This record gives sequence, C-alpha cells and structure tokens, in this order.
Amino acid sequence: MNLEEYRTVFLTGSFVLMLIAVVPTVSLILPFSSGSERFSELWLLGPNQKAEDYPFNVGVNETYSVFVGVGNHLGVSSYYLVYVKFRNQTEPLPNATVSEPSSLSPLFEFRFFVVDGGAWEKPLTFSVLEASRDDDFMFVDRLSINDVVFSVNASARWDSEYEGFYFQLFFELWLYNVTSQSFQFHNRFVGIWLNMTSS
Amino acid sequence: MTCKLIKMSVQKLLVALLILSVFVFPIFVFRVSGSGVDMAASAVGEAEEVVASAYEAVLEAEHAGANVSGLLASLNEAGELLATAQVAFRLGDFDEAVLSASLCSEICEVVRDEADELRVEAYGAKIMNSWLTMTGSTIGVVAVVFGSFWGWRVFKRRYVRRALRMKPEVAKDES
Repeated sequence: MNLEEYRTVFLTGSFVLMLIAVVPTVSLILPFSSGSERFSELWLLGPNQKAEDYPFNVGVNETYSVFVGVGNHLGVSSYYLVYVKFRNQTEPLPNATVSEPSSLSPLFEFRFFVVDGGAWEKPLTFSVLEASRDDDFMFVDRLSINDVVFSVNASARWDSEYEGFYFQLFFELWLYNVTSQSFQFHNRFVGIWLNMTSS
Repeated sequence: MTCKLIKMSVQKLLVALLILSVFVFPIFVFRVSGSGVDMAASAVGEAEEVVASAYEAVLEAEHAGANVSGLLASLNEAGELLATAQVAFRLGDFDEAVLSASLCSEICEVVRDEADELRVEAYGAKIMNSWLTMTGSTIGVVAVVFGSFWGWRVFKRRYVRRALRMKPEVAKDES
C-alpha cells in the first residue's frame, strides 16, 4: 500500500469513529424505532388457564370459569376496556371488516392499564341463574358474571343442524385514544359458545 | 253550632291534605330518585374524566423516562372501581355507583399528582442526561479528529523514514 491508500484508510476509520461518537446525540433527536409491529392481544383460556376445557354444555345454577387476558405491544402503556356481552346465534357480533363493535349492550366490563410488553389476565366466573324452555325456544332470563346478577332476557331457537340451544358469551377489546379522549373499539373480540340443551 | 262548623272544616282540611299528599308524594319520590340517577351519573362521569387525565399524566411521565409501574398499579385499582361503578349504574344501584366512582376519583387524583412530580423529576434527569450525552459526543468527535490528525502525522513520519532507509536494489536485466 502506498501513502495515498494509507491516508484513505485513516480518513475512513476516523469518519467511522466520529459517526460512532455522534450516534448517542443523534438518537436523542431522532429516536430509533424498534421496527416491530404495534398490536394488542386478546385471549380467552379455560378454567385451568390453558386453551382447553372451555365451558360448553351449560346447566342452570352451575358455575363456570374462564380467564380473559390482554397483551400490550403498542409501544406505550395503554388503557383498555373489555366489554362482556351475551348473544344468541342471530344477534350481531362485532364486524372486524369495518372495525365496528357489536350493537348489544355490555353486561360486565373490565378497565385496566397494561405497560408496554406486559400482560393482564383476570378470571371470570359465570352461571345461568334462570332459564326456561318453551318448545323450540330456550329463554335465559338471569345470568351472573363475577357474582353480579344481570337480567338478560335472551332467547335461542333450537338449532337443528348442531342440535342445541346456542348462546355466546363474548369479549370485546376497546382502547383509550388520548387524541379523541374516548374509548375506541380495538377490533378484537373472542367468545365461547354455550349449549343450553342440558338445562 | 260553631263547634260543629269548626269540626267540619277541620275534617275537610284533613281530606284536602290527604288528597294533596296523594299527588305530591309521587312527585317528591320521583324527584329524589331522579336526583339519585343524576348524582350517580355525575359521579361516574367525573370518575371517567379523572381516570383519563391521570392516565394522560402517567403517559407524560413515561415519555419523560419515569418508571410508572407503581402508578399503573394504582390506576388498575381505580380502573376496577370505575368498572364496578359503571356496572352498578347500569343495574340501577346508584349508591354503589357513587361510592365506587368517588373512591376511584380519590385514587386518580393522588396518581395524577404523583405522575406530575415524577414527570418533573424525570425531565430534570433527562435534560442532565442529554447534556452529558451531547458533551460526550462532542468530546468524542474532537478526540477522534485530533487523534486521527496526530496519528496520521506519526504514521506518515515513520512511513517516510522507513522509505528513506530502504536501499535501492538494481535488478538484472535478463533479456
């Protein structure tokens, strides 16, 4: 290598070292993004906190439990709201395509805060307190969720294809938007089907 | 005769009062229960606002670099109370709604104040850290510039000295 080539190596090395020295200051002005996708998780587990043994065949005055959980990967601590709703097969579910929640009124709700990268999980116990059958219809009048009693007045028609009276307990995830200062449906929901035939 | 007249008028007055009370009582009851709804709605609404403002204060503290895990734990307590208040309100249990909403507001006011204090502390630490970082970078750049310049001069001198020490050799022309 001649002297000119050595000079180029020296200049390049110095430039790289200068860049390394400047990086901490630049990162104060331009925070480096982690580049990872921002999202929230919503999950439902069975009574053993596993994705198994979900309540399905439901009887009156029997207590069932599930675990509902939320994971935060939004990059900031977030304020969530989970609505618990109850429906039959014909009543509306949330519409994920247009990001619209179900128009049904919530029964129970959870409000909580999750740090970025953290998770929240709570048990939910429920029981059907009052139900009656009239030919092809099953009526659920009262439901208890986490020891709070709700009048639901829901009815389900006999499903001849799947042979049962089906209701669904589902959970909608809402997220607090600081800009609009209100909760917005976060386009995530989970639910379990409940067969009331044995009641 | 006068005594009989007085007795009759007292009886009429009592009947009139009784009739009047039949009309007045429902209005009074309605007003009282109406005020219960209003009070509960106002308490729940206020609690919602206080929770939101406490959360925003916590977010600002977090952006400033503060550790907000303790504040979030308190906010979760407040969130549970607010959820209880909302459910109680929907079920018509206004006393429970007011109680839970008031407790929630109390917790959130404390959280908001603590978050503001943490934010100020964290901003102070952040500014100090920024100054240290910028000073470190400047010193680093200056050190690299001078170091490179000095290093290059030393290297160049040695290179030239070594080049001058070299003895030229005459190669034979074998052609």
